[in-house]
Amino acid sequence: MTNPDATGPGAASRSDEQVAQSLYAAAEKIYPRQVHGLFARLRVLGVLGLLGIYYITPWLRWEGHQALLLDLPARKFHIFFITLWPQDFFYLAVLLIIAGLVLFFVTALAGRVWCGYACPQTVWTEAFLWIERKVEGNRMQQQKLDALPMSARKFRIKATKHFLWLAFSAWTGFTFVGYFSPITELGRNLLAFNIGPWETFWIIFYGFATYGNAGFMREQVCKYMCPYARFQSAMFDKDTLVVSYIPNRGEPRGSRKRSVDPVTAGLGDCIDCTLCVQVCPTGIDIRDGLQYECIACSACIDACDDVMDKMGYEKGLIKYTTEHAMQGGKTHILRPRIFIYAVILLSIMVAFAWSFSQRVSLGLDVIRDRNTLYRETSDGLIENVYILKILNMDDAEHQYELSVSGIPGLTLHKDMAVIQVASGGIMELPVRLRAEEGDLEARSSDVVFELVAQDDAALIAREDARFLGPN
Amino acid sequence: MAEKQVPRTQKCIAVLWPSFMVAIVATGLFFSAFDPDDLYPFGEQTEVSRLGIYSIGFLLFWLVSAISGIGTLYFAITNCMRQNPGSRG
Repeated sequence: MTNPDATGPGAASRSDEQVAQSLYAAAEKIYPRQVHGLFARLRVLGVLGLLGIYYITPWLRWEGHQALLLDLPARKFHIFFITLWPQDFFYLAVLLIIAGLVLFFVTALAGRVWCGYACPQTVWTEAFLWIERKVEGNRMQQQKLDALPMSARKFRIKATKHFLWLAFSAWTGFTFVGYFSPITELGRNLLAFNIGPWETFWIIFYGFATYGNAGFMREQVCKYMCPYARFQSAMFDKDTLVVSYIPNRGEPRGSRKRSVDPVTAGLGDCIDCTLCVQVCPTGIDIRDGLQYECIACSACIDACDDVMDKMGYEKGLIKYTTEHAMQGGKTHILRPRIFIYAVILLSIMVAFAWSFSQRVSLGLDVIRDRNTLYRETSDGLIENVYILKILNMDDAEHQYELSVSGIPGLTLHKDMAVIQVASGGIMELPVRLRAEEGDLEARSSDVVFELVAQDDAALIAREDARFLGPN
Repeated sequence: MAEKQVPRTQKCIAVLWPSFMVAIVATGLFFSAFDPDDLYPFGEQTEVSRLGIYSIGFLLFWLVSAISGIGTLYFAITNCMRQNPGSRG
């Protein structure tokens, strides 16, 4: 593989033009050789499982609504039995922090398992590679086809592949939008050619991004775009599992017949078949040591184990191991870093669960009418007008009692006799507060609105507001 | 002459991709705080759907961050390379 970062020893003496050319080479297409083995099987399971979850989940329903729906138009996030409103932004932020900490924790333990098995880029690239293999053939056939000039046959094959890729991408884009806009409605609109302009935009945008990332960019996303790729090694230590070649066993490398005894021949176990390089999706040679491009997909492990079997040697010339083990020491799984991550993660999870269980599913917003400071009624009372927004975030419909306090003799007037709000509903209620001028201690007084559900005293919300009057 | 050292594609991605990620964060934070229905652009009530407002907001954030990125690129790489021909900044 060309190393685009190569600068020869004579670089300083070359002209600018030559240096520029040697510093940059357009990325060549990498044809990863198909690999079979334990980790390849695990990865296929991962791909099928995760893709299955991705495409099926939006169609699941829970108590009348879509089970997992980040409903942007309605501004509610439904996650099975949890419904988050914009007021619950804090909980969403904490959930994201928990997800991040889980990722760091797993990385400290097992290295880049996210990259190799779970990352959407890996998962979709695997699916696209599978389609490409079905249409164009294996690695050699693909390389041959690409070397040929355009012909009817080549066009037919390429067109088939791209059509399948685009169809798959379109379905992916549609499903993605279905996480943000109810998918059954979206599906009906799609069949009736009646999708809104923005939904169309995002289906095309995301579909095209899938097509570009999984069809063309592939490992370049990992190498150049992914932020996790850059900081994952900050979580590594000498006891983190990484994919490694064992040079003590493998060197000196060299090809030899099966019948030859490597020890007598003065050779290590590595027969330099370069299969580990051929199967690598990022095109590196793991025998050079751990590199940041390595996404720990363990295709090289499978390939090498296969060859070791064929040669009659022990498996594991390339394997999951730790730096400590490579140096001949013992790997410590339970170490301070792991403990600290685990403790922080557990505390935040417990705090989140407790806090969320204490959450009151009732919201009250008070907006004072700003058009006038205050009004004087015909009885000589000072009146302030407010608009109350009552949010019933509960699963059931409720009737509420509204009361107010903060000024002696303060009275509350509303047009509606009964405050009844459906589950998940929002009511805008204008109210008027009246007080005697004599009871007002200052130009601006603090009042408190209190809203309680009639059938559940735990559903209570209080909001502060200002009552303005004359000096 | 020295500007050839950083490929144009890489410069484009270096501006467009981080600004994309920042735009996602900014859009999420901004529209968690402000309901699109409560927004009256230039004082007018708009017919655009909520999804439309989110999308336009996101694209605007992306544009603004990208402009910032272009500025960073210009000041960070170009000047440095003009002073030191042959270096990558």
